[in-house]
Amino acid sequence: MRNRLKWASLLMASMMLLLTACGGGGNSGASETNGGTTDTAAVSGDGGGIKPLTFSFYGNYDWLTTAPWGDNEATKWIQENRKVTVEPIQSGGAAAEKLNTMIVSGDLPDVIFTDRGSTVERLVQAGQLVALDDYFEKYPNFKKYVKESTLNLLRSEDGKIYQIPNWYTSGQFGNGGWMVNKDIYNALGRPALETFDDLYQYLLQVKEKYPDVVPLEVGEKGAGLEIMYGGFRENATSKFISLMGYPEGDKLVSIYDDPAFKEMMLYINKLFRERLITQDALQQTQDAVKEKVNTGRVAVMIESNITTYGAEGHRALTASNPDSGYEIIWPVHKAGLDKNKVFVSGFETLGWNVNVITKKAKDPEAIFAYFDWITGPEGQKVLFFGPKGLYWDEEDADGAPIPNEKYKTASANDRSETMRKFEDFNWAGNTTFIDTAKMKIEESLAANQKSWETVAQSTVTWKTALDITEFVNTDPIPDTETGIIAQNVQDIYSLAFAQMVQAKSDEGVLSALEKAKNNAEKAGLEKLLQFRTEKWQENVKKIGDAK
Amino acid sequence: MKAAGKPGNWKKFRNQWDLQSMVWPGIIFIFIFSYIPMYGVVMAFQQYDIFSGIWKSPWVGFMHFRMFFEAPEFWNVMRNTLVISLLKLVITFPAPIILALMLNEIGSMTFKRFIQTVSYLPYFLSWVIVSGFVFSLLSVDNGTVNYLLERMGLISEPVNFLAVPKYFWSILVSVNVWKDVGFASIVYLAAIAGVDPTLYEAASIDGASRFKQIYLITLPSIAPIIIIFMILAIGNLLSAGFEDILLLATNPILRPYSDVIDTYVYRVGILNARFSYATAVGLFKAGISVILLVSANKIARRAGVSLW
Repeated sequence: MRNRLKWASLLMASMMLLLTACGGGGNSGASETNGGTTDTAAVSGDGGGIKPLTFSFYGNYDWLTTAPWGDNEATKWIQENRKVTVEPIQSGGAAAEKLNTMIVSGDLPDVIFTDRGSTVERLVQAGQLVALDDYFEKYPNFKKYVKESTLNLLRSEDGKIYQIPNWYTSGQFGNGGWMVNKDIYNALGRPALETFDDLYQYLLQVKEKYPDVVPLEVGEKGAGLEIMYGGFRENATSKFISLMGYPEGDKLVSIYDDPAFKEMMLYINKLFRERLITQDALQQTQDAVKEKVNTGRVAVMIESNITTYGAEGHRALTASNPDSGYEIIWPVHKAGLDKNKVFVSGFETLGWNVNVITKKAKDPEAIFAYFDWITGPEGQKVLFFGPKGLYWDEEDADGAPIPNEKYKTASANDRSETMRKFEDFNWAGNTTFIDTAKMKIEESLAANQKSWETVAQSTVTWKTALDITEFVNTDPIPDTETGIIAQNVQDIYSLAFAQMVQAKSDEGVLSALEKAKNNAEKAGLEKLLQFRTEKWQENVKKIGDAK
Repeated sequence: MKAAGKPGNWKKFRNQWDLQSMVWPGIIFIFIFSYIPMYGVVMAFQQYDIFSGIWKSPWVGFMHFRMFFEAPEFWNVMRNTLVISLLKLVITFPAPIILALMLNEIGSMTFKRFIQTVSYLPYFLSWVIVSGFVFSLLSVDNGTVNYLLERMGLISEPVNFLAVPKYFWSILVSVNVWKDVGFASIVYLAAIAGVDPTLYEAASIDGASRFKQIYLITLPSIAPIIIIFMILAIGNLLSAGFEDILLLATNPILRPYSDVIDTYVYRVGILNARFSYATAVGLFKAGISVILLVSANKIARRAGVSLW
């Protein structure tokens, strides 16, 4: 009996412990920080209007885990010198659920880092966000670096600005493109690879001479296939496919009526049918793709993030043979098109994503001031290159850091790993500032110290990126009538796309296209295009007004 | 009036308090995580808005149910759900019983243990890992199966197994059998172990063969367990699987064969934050499942075995 009692109480005790642990776990981090404690002591130096401050920060992405504040040189420097502390809240791999939980329990963080679009608009409509118009006016850096037209596009329907842009830009940038395996390309005599016919002939040669190599690799789940679109029409990118319509005058016309789209699908199907494109294209994982690239079993590749695949693959291949590796090439295109009007990627001057400040924040202005500091020269230097004394000691006349001995002598891999950790905290990235500084540093390096990525970007991928800012915010909110249409149209498209890629004949492609066209029309494609056309024309007007 | 000598329920309970305390955590757990959240089903009849919450969201009646029944995917999703479930019922359900019967006939204890361990290990792998195996086995570039078939001269060009809709159901069911058969057989093995050995002795004296013994003694003895599991499986008929399908059917061309209720809810409802719609479809599914479970139980009661 006594023994039984002991076990029972032990069980009870452990249950209680478990329950308390669960209860406590969910809240830690958010509880103490709500608001942001500020005190009025001014910060000396280059801090601008920045005040000592603590706030909570939630990154609304499944893959994002924000490291603890003060764990690396950059955030530690900020904590010590600018007296700002950030308490990250993690998504735990289920960002949407976590955000919904926070909304339902009324426990929003001070700052949410998220994509533009429906998440932000929902929060705006529910009156959960702080309007930032006055702060944008008051603080110097955003005012200086963000174009007026960009700010206008960030305005929500009520005319106010709730979003702080991240990696906004005023110049061209993009990471998509084509690359070839140098060994194979050289061995086959470096034939011209300009038109799609050249490419087809080249891939046939590869298949014959290198049966174990994938002639054309197209990335995870075939992500690279659609971006060939830019090669079939001048001044276009695959954005038109995701819009389900291409611009004709001031209207969007169904992609199924687009001769360029049809031509692309027939071409892709021909390559796939003849096994010139990896047959796993539509279902392969990123790991499988990387494995092929890094072992040199890819002859040509097209991808929207070619600079990352290329840099990694190049590093892996040159480790054993310095003459090997990958080479970026100018985008392949249809014969007769002007090669300078061929684009692979699209960029939006609004940048990648945004930060919003919720009404939970006690001192939203102080938080804004911190973001304004981030996007200014000092913040960008600290959060990209690290604090002064790490990889740079001095700066040039334009304020760009000059790399020191440590930068040049540290192994490139270690250095980029360290800098990547800083970048995780660069929530108001200033693309123009960073790229200018990066290019200057790169110029000062010897040829063999230059990174593959930077070379690819400066020679090709930036030049082949098209400004598609006028098409931002053209997606309807999912649970509206147009949103449901968009979902159905997208489902019809993704199935039809797979059927067209894998069709057994040209007729198969055309009949799948025809069927998708009919189904999409039945699902209300016309209405969706009308909605998007309106949004697009509003944007055009906003951009025009600012000029 | 209570019969003398028979303690009241309360007293009985108090005397067993230590045993009872082990039951309570389970009951509390089910109450908190299964019963309390049930109020959420009212969302199915609302246009639920996450900021207004359940109390302030507008009521819309059966709108979401109508939308689901009228959705272009409805019949396709229902067909896939039923076909995949029935395939699982016909193939995945008897597999562990057969495995258990076979294991029971093995004389060598070491060999039996070895087989048991090997066969139930896959159960502990997550579907993410299993799908990774399947992809690398069946892929066209360097896939093991294609390599093997090509070497044996059975095919001239690699087959794109995971991109052909008609292969999907067989792949799905086979992988499910491989993953779950060992673990599921443990229950049946335990049941077989409980069969009175004297029955077998008597049967062998009467000259019954091994097969006759299985058929006439083992199977009837474990029939109650089989029936109980059968009832539960029928109740789950509309749960054709979720993770396995989501992870294996990544090529959109498979969707006409792979889209089942749960993956549809996830894709259309959860990913787009259409909570009411997702709840309505979920509630529809739960309703049908309850009907199936009750009728299966009713039929089974005639055989003398039932859940209640």
